[in-house]
Amino acid sequence: MRSRTALFSIALGALACDAGLAPQASCPPGFVGICGTVTFRGALPDSTDVVYVVAYTTFPTTQNDLFDFKPLPPPTLRLDSAARAAPQAYTLALPAGTYQWVLAAWKKQGTLSPQNADSLLREAGFYRDPTDTSKAGTIVVAGAVTGTDFTVDFTNMHPVSFYFPAPHPTP
Amino acid sequence: MSLRRAIALALLVGTRLGAQGTGALRGSVTDTAGNALDRVRVRALTRIGGMREIAVRFTDASGAYRFDSLPAGWLTIDAGLIGYGLVRDSIVIKAGDAVRLDFRLPVRPILVSPTIVTAAKRSQLLDQAVTSVSLVGAQQIAQRAVNTIDEAVDKAPGVQFIAGQVNVRGSSGFVQGLGSRVLLLVDGVPANQGDRGGINWDLVPVDQVDRVEVVKGAGSALYGSSAFGGVVNLITRENPEGWHARLRATGGVFANPPHAAWAFRDHAGLEDGLDVAGSYGHGSVRAGLSAGARHSDGYRQQDRADHWQVTGKGEWRPEGATQVNLSGAWASDQYEVPEPWCQSGHCADQGQAFQPFLIDTANLGNRTRSDKGYFTALVTRTPSERTAWMARASWVRTHFTDAYPQRRPPLAAADFSIANRIGGEGRVVSRPDSLHVVTAGLEITRSDVVSNVFSGDTTGGGRTHTEDAYSAYAEAEQRAGPLRVTIGARGDFLAVDGGGITAFVSPRAGAVWPTARGSWRASLGRAYRTPSLAERFVTTYALGFRVVPNPALRAEDGWSAEVGRIWTPWPWIRSDAALFFTQARQLIEPAFTPALVIQFQNVQRARPMGLDLSVAATPLSPHLTTTLAYQLLVARELAHDTVPERPLLYRPRHLLTLSADYGWRALGVGGDFRVSSRFERQDPLFPADRQFPGKVLDLRASWIAEPWTLHLKVANVLNYVYNLAPRVLEPVRTATVTLTFSY
Repeated sequence: MRSRTALFSIALGALACDAGLAPQASCPPGFVGICGTVTFRGALPDSTDVVYVVAYTTFPTTQNDLFDFKPLPPPTLRLDSAARAAPQAYTLALPAGTYQWVLAAWKKQGTLSPQNADSLLREAGFYRDPTDTSKAGTIVVAGAVTGTDFTVDFTNMHPVSFYFPAPHPTP
Repeated sequence: MSLRRAIALALLVGTRLGAQGTGALRGSVTDTAGNALDRVRVRALTRIGGMREIAVRFTDASGAYRFDSLPAGWLTIDAGLIGYGLVRDSIVIKAGDAVRLDFRLPVRPILVSPTIVTAAKRSQLLDQAVTSVSLVGAQQIAQRAVNTIDEAVDKAPGVQFIAGQVNVRGSSGFVQGLGSRVLLLVDGVPANQGDRGGINWDLVPVDQVDRVEVVKGAGSALYGSSAFGGVVNLITRENPEGWHARLRATGGVFANPPHAAWAFRDHAGLEDGLDVAGSYGHGSVRAGLSAGARHSDGYRQQDRADHWQVTGKGEWRPEGATQVNLSGAWASDQYEVPEPWCQSGHCADQGQAFQPFLIDTANLGNRTRSDKGYFTALVTRTPSERTAWMARASWVRTHFTDAYPQRRPPLAAADFSIANRIGGEGRVVSRPDSLHVVTAGLEITRSDVVSNVFSGDTTGGGRTHTEDAYSAYAEAEQRAGPLRVTIGARGDFLAVDGGGITAFVSPRAGAVWPTARGSWRASLGRAYRTPSLAERFVTTYALGFRVVPNPALRAEDGWSAEVGRIWTPWPWIRSDAALFFTQARQLIEPAFTPALVIQFQNVQRARPMGLDLSVAATPLSPHLTTTLAYQLLVARELAHDTVPERPLLYRPRHLLTLSADYGWRALGVGGDFRVSSRFERQDPLFPADRQFPGKVLDLRASWIAEPWTLHLKVANVLNYVYNLAPRVLEPVRTATVTLTFSY
């Protein structure tokens, strides 16, 4: 009986001593990039394909500049109803440097090309300057940058042509 | 004693017995569940002149017995049947009376050594094998309600699967399914892939497997290459006499991730499957067919899978000594590729450093189609009690296509490989007398592959490669008193692409010494494995680096030894312990070259050794069966060049499995708990990844109401989230219901 009790204790001990994989927040020591959350507003359009989060070192001024984003491939946001109900964390692993525009890019269903970017892509929200929320916020990445939170508003999205040739977004 | 006194005594005794008269006794015998027991021996014993048997009867099919005439007086009646405890009762028979006495016999399993066919390429008792053998029986397979046979084999003592790659005593580690050091047999016929040398565990539907034999340690002396670390033999069901049908339906649900930060879908993942089998046997002909399909949503993103299969098996006995078998199977799988998991920034990571349930967006859309099949024709003949021979021809074919829709030139949008493994074997087993057994045979195998990824062509073109193997083997067993001594060897002659022949000789010697409560065994044998065509000729990209071919790759070889003991101290317990040791060199591993490319090379010398222990017992109650399996593995890579001695990758030092099953009438409950310690060495390609021990608890229940059987299984009840291979998530909690109808 004593040996059975010992065996049972060993089994229980083995069960209790380790919980396996657990969520581990990004931006750990040594991480270089941006960590923040997005909050969703409005109904998700039926034609939605995907929503990316991307960063530009300089604000794009032409349609060709649109494809000069980082990182590659860009992370996507979860779009199921449960995920949109609360702020959703995102992480952009980026090279050190200055980023003038960090935004969520909504993509309509279809194959994307430089020629149809204006019809398939929408700016759905971007990180704003805390001192002037009408402007995009500039982020200097030297390590892990946190607190870069912004809102994705599906009721107020803008096509590419909304910005060009405008040098900066003025929503 | 004078004649007169003797006659007087005989008359006196006869007068007394005759004065008692006779009575009748009848009754029935059942088990404790109330089921009638046939052929139970019922004895009537008298105490006159000591306990003495005076009459014996056997129960009929309804469990009834009857004594029409027993002498009146005190009698002892007992009832006994193999597999049940003896029950004894006392009764008074009065002259002219008819008395009823019923018995209920408790189940008391008799632990006998089972018969195996793999360890020596012939039938023998498990206790007589010179190497360790683990068995997974039909009942264990059914109890575990698994979808593929690897899920059942995974819990066998000394066996562990790492992301689908089988390890017997830590033989293979993890090399993305390449370079298996375990040989798969289907009814004794080699079935490893012709290109990668790996194993398709879904080649044979689990419902058609009767039992599995796992032979541990080097098997090259009988089976040649691939049997470096062990042999797994799937033995399929026999087709019984008459019409029979079987239907097996499964349904299951996967748990969602236990943490909200890992959520990836807002519904539960499901799986379902259906298998139908029918067979007919009459006289000299028997045949069976089965077909099945299953679907799984998977437990991760991009993890859906579909599977279809058909199998057939026919048997013809033109006369008693000769048997012809034809068998085959074909399976097709189409599945999404959910590996490796996503690291921060490469998917909707929700602020996490990694997302174990999500796939890197660069790998979205990756999927595989894998078709595989085998066909075997086998003739066996036993012309006398002393001689038996067999001849077989076999064909194993695999064809896979990996689609990568996001790939851009110069990489191909899809990798493919079509491989065949065609073989023939002739074997004779001779028993010239009761002291000798000789097994000898010839084997020919031809493997070919046409592929754009195993082509050896760095320009990406498709090419064909072949490997031919000619082999001869012989093994003799000699009895000297109780000792059985075995000695044998196999010679293999191999040629790749029609080039020069390379020869290997693999001897083995062993002995078994039976004791009053078990046996001792010892063996020493050579192990070798030729590189697969994939390892020689792979050309692709992995982890962002180019993988280049190495046609000059040589065979791995080594020596393997073990000393083992089967011990049955009491009738209700059986233990098997073995100390094992392997010295291996030229082990093939992927390595970075100074040119910053990856190439398979003969880089390692290694020394895995340890203890393999299993104990099976029926303590407390005959309804309760328990097993304990423990493996201590000390697997070291030996120092070479500038590399110091260090642990081998992907080998846990401790592997513990506890199992228990309790059966009460039609109901059965049980469970398995497995603990695998964390690997001792971090994979240098993933230095920042944390490692975890494996700790998985499976629970199961069954209910049998002939012809229906219901199995409920909850695998990984604790929803323990972990990985063994890098960034490949092991299964989460999965509840499965399996309903089987057998006619």
